[in-house]
Amino acid sequence: MVDFGFELSSSKRIDLDSFDSDLFLKLKAESGKITECIACGSCTSSCSAGIFTLVNFRKTILLIERGKNEEAIELIKGCMLCGKCTLVCPRGINTREIILSINQYYKKERF
Amino acid sequence: MKERIIFGYDPFVIPFTLGVIFIMLYLGTGTVRILLTLTRKEALNLLNSIFSVKIFKTFKDILFDVLLHVKIFKRNILLGYMHASIAFGWFMLIFIGHIEVILYTPQRNGVIYYPVFFRYFVMETSQTLRGAFFFFLMDLFLLIVLSGIALAIYKRFRSVRLGMKRTTRLKTGDKIALWSLWMIFPLRLIAESFTADISGGSFLTSTINTLMGSLVESTVYMDTLWWAYSCALAIFLFALPFSRYMHIPTEILLIFLRNAGIKSSSSRDGFAESEIYSCSSCGICIDACPMSVVDKKSNYTSVYLLRKLRRRKEDSLFVAEQCLMCGKCVELCPVEIDSCRLKLLKKRENFPDQIFDYNYLSKKHPEFKSGINRPDREKVLYYAGCMTHLTPQIYTSLFNIMDKAQIDYSFMDRDGSICCGRPLILSGGERAAKELIKANSELILRANAGILLLSCPICFKVFKENYSLNGIKVMHHSQYINLLIKEGKIKLKKGDFSVVYHDPCDLGRGSDVYSEPREVISSAAVLKESSNLPAESICCGGSLASRRFSQSERESVTLHSLEKLNINNPEKLITACPLCLRSFSKFNKRETLDIAQLAEQQMI
Amino acid sequence: MEGDVLVIGGGAAGMETASRISDFNRNVILIEKEQELGGHILKWDRLFPDGIPASDVTKNLKESLGSTKVLLGCYITSIEKREDSNFFAQLNSGETIKCSSVIFATGFKLFPAQKKQEYGYGLYERVITNADLETRFKKGEGLGKDAPKRIGFVHCVGSRDEKICNNQCSKLCCITAVKQAIELKQLYPFAEIFCFYMDLRMYGRGYEDLYLEAQSKYEIRFIRGRVSEISQEQSGLVIVKAEDTLASRPLKITLDWVVLMAGIISERENDYLSQQLSLQLGEDGFIDSVDPIQKTNQTNIAGVFVTGSASGPKTLPEVINEARSTALSVNEYLNKIKNG
Repeated sequence: MVDFGFELSSSKRIDLDSFDSDLFLKLKAESGKITECIACGSCTSSCSAGIFTLVNFRKTILLIERGKNEEAIELIKGCMLCGKCTLVCPRGINTREIILSINQYYKKERF
Repeated sequence: MKERIIFGYDPFVIPFTLGVIFIMLYLGTGTVRILLTLTRKEALNLLNSIFSVKIFKTFKDILFDVLLHVKIFKRNILLGYMHASIAFGWFMLIFIGHIEVILYTPQRNGVIYYPVFFRYFVMETSQTLRGAFFFFLMDLFLLIVLSGIALAIYKRFRSVRLGMKRTTRLKTGDKIALWSLWMIFPLRLIAESFTADISGGSFLTSTINTLMGSLVESTVYMDTLWWAYSCALAIFLFALPFSRYMHIPTEILLIFLRNAGIKSSSSRDGFAESEIYSCSSCGICIDACPMSVVDKKSNYTSVYLLRKLRRRKEDSLFVAEQCLMCGKCVELCPVEIDSCRLKLLKKRENFPDQIFDYNYLSKKHPEFKSGINRPDREKVLYYAGCMTHLTPQIYTSLFNIMDKAQIDYSFMDRDGSICCGRPLILSGGERAAKELIKANSELILRANAGILLLSCPICFKVFKENYSLNGIKVMHHSQYINLLIKEGKIKLKKGDFSVVYHDPCDLGRGSDVYSEPREVISSAAVLKESSNLPAESICCGGSLASRRFSQSERESVTLHSLEKLNINNPEKLITACPLCLRSFSKFNKRETLDIAQLAEQQMI
Repeated sequence: MEGDVLVIGGGAAGMETASRISDFNRNVILIEKEQELGGHILKWDRLFPDGIPASDVTKNLKESLGSTKVLLGCYITSIEKREDSNFFAQLNSGETIKCSSVIFATGFKLFPAQKKQEYGYGLYERVITNADLETRFKKGEGLGKDAPKRIGFVHCVGSRDEKICNNQCSKLCCITAVKQAIELKQLYPFAEIFCFYMDLRMYGRGYEDLYLEAQSKYEIRFIRGRVSEISQEQSGLVIVKAEDTLASRPLKITLDWVVLMAGIISERENDYLSQQLSLQLGEDGFIDSVDPIQKTNQTNIAGVFVTGSASGPKTLPEVINEARSTALSVNEYLNKIKNG
């Protein structure tokens, strides 16, 4: 097969054939509800940090599920942990716990 | 009085003596170790508190808490009697024992075992006034201790009778210490009874001696019993450091440290250590804890957290993260251990500070529509906080009240808040919260207000404790409405319906605001009692502090709390916290209102 | 009073079932707690997807009731099934009804929108529900004489929401919102109309066409995101916050009016009846069928049937069809017990 030089830069597409599912599986084990998101956006919409930053919980867990962990962390680190998203989530996802878990995970990974 | 044994020694004293030496060394080392961890300032504070009038308070606390257990008496008389009889009775037995030695055998003063085995070594008849007096006292206190032990044994099997639905599960060390403690006093009774015909005795020991008849004549039995008594004591003393009874000596040190104003700054520093070892595992916190309604969660109550911290278990963090931080266990703890603080410290040590990034707060301030930049000085600055934005009925009512009272106010975060920082603090992010506190402080100070008005008790607590706002008065809306009533700016008419008031954790226990909300409610409706005392109100289940509560587990907590609140069948439930309002109105079949809504409805 | 069949509830389901059973020359008693037959559609103006007036439907249903005995303003205070498999129902009027079969046509309840506190229904004047809007249409009021500039529809209010204890999809609101949005646009051609949805469930014939028409002809804008908060400006206008999930950005919009699409929830007021008969309810509070495919209108108690929205959200045509099939099942049952 001819390689069209895609190796020059890493692919931006979501690759469900090979991706890093480590964090997602860990979060799933800790709080099974993470898979129950219906992407309604209530969390992002109610987010106190959302008006100043890119904080977006809905997209964070979506990206983690798709293996794009590095992009995901950027969408969560401005979170003030106020807990509003947990209060509005129609699926009862323990969003605040998951945010803390993600950050704990990165603390271990990076520091 | 006359010594029976010339050398004042018998081999049976060896186990006991070894036990005492062991425990003395252990306690000595432990105390020194804890004292060494104190900072210079703390050590000075400690010295100051010892060599000043404060020492009397310390002595009083020791007498009331360690010996008489006044706090447990308040909880349940039988349970209090059980603790006081054993602790105080035992103390008196030792104390009088020493007096006897000093009075009658001064040459033996300082011999460790003498006061304890006095009856074995010294003969006296109860005919003399001195003998009769001391024998009577000793028998009396022994009886008191024995009655306490009997209650303790009864409690093991029927704890409900002593006001406790659940008691702690015991570990091996606890069990050994417990059994030996149970054995000590019956053995002492029988041992002293066997020698009562020789050494004298009073109403207990002499009577038993007479009843035993010919049995007492054999010295073999007598020696065996004194050996058994000494061994029971020794086992107890050796097991002490590995059991919950360690709280007896540690609590004294804790009282000294606490009265010196020392606080822990890590979950395993000296003060923390003295708290951890002062936990008596009494289990009062298990029944008190709102988590306990969810069966498996009672394993995460404070008593078990302290146990895990003591054993340096890795999962103590996991346990700390369960807690709803309602503070009820701290309120009820007979030893006053601030377990919530220990949990916070534990979480703080593991908080991912490095990941959170609040640079955006310092770079750019959000523009607030409501004119906080207006030049005219406004009296009241209202901050809804994150949660109250989800319960607009609270601030709508509050604004209507303020309009009626013609108050000049502005709404600081109409278009969204910077969080107050307490949710971060509750998760261990004290350092991270500083940036939020700084950003909010700037906004508030720029507004030139006299009063910062809050609806959310979570915000209220942190604004009071962690912000320095240049003398701006921080008020919760329940206090402010009460103030408006007192100043005659609004008038309420008393409705004929009945209500019950739920004390939000951070407002009641957390900030000691109990009376103002009740005054407001009493002028608007008939206030009924719930089944809990105000300081023992049960968390609504909505607490932000716990990371480990699932929604369904929170619901169990809410339902339990509601059941207790509605015990006297009130028509409405009143609360003063947006989180409580949301948690309760989800399930309460009765109308659930915020105090501001009630006041607005009854306003004339 | 004696009869073969007692039908509880005089809405579309109850009326249609009663008339069809009467067709079999059965003695039917229909009780309705309100003073008028019709149920929820009494409040409705026009019906989706074609805009037929609701009053026409009610009128036709009433006319075909035949020999059915109708008791208005009546509800059951207690009911029991005796050993001879007859039912005895005590009414609030003091009357006792003896019958061989009972049909629950008790319908549904619209979600009380004030329970979704962050939407401020009852607090803000310009936040109304789908039912309020229909009442306004019926009265010819619309949204007032001053043409509103911007109107928002909030889907899934009280549906698919664990936080207010209703997990089910109400099924009818998506299409109702599209219908009402079009009606408003017809009324106020210059108004901008926004629908905030999570998923648009346009499952019925003609629904997708209506959606397409809403997009193309009426230029109604659909924003994918659930509204999280509504607040009020001092002017009375309302500010809606949601995430535009397709753009991944939080969104804020100031609107003249907000219409909340209150969902369909179970009529919990009848739980005492289901308890007395030991009827099996689902977690959502709707009555469970004994078999969800072939015996949808039979319950776990022989002789007790369920029809219409009492067993879950249904559209009107579905209700009417089900009512007819219920009539067949009930007739079969009555034949069976008569022949032993």
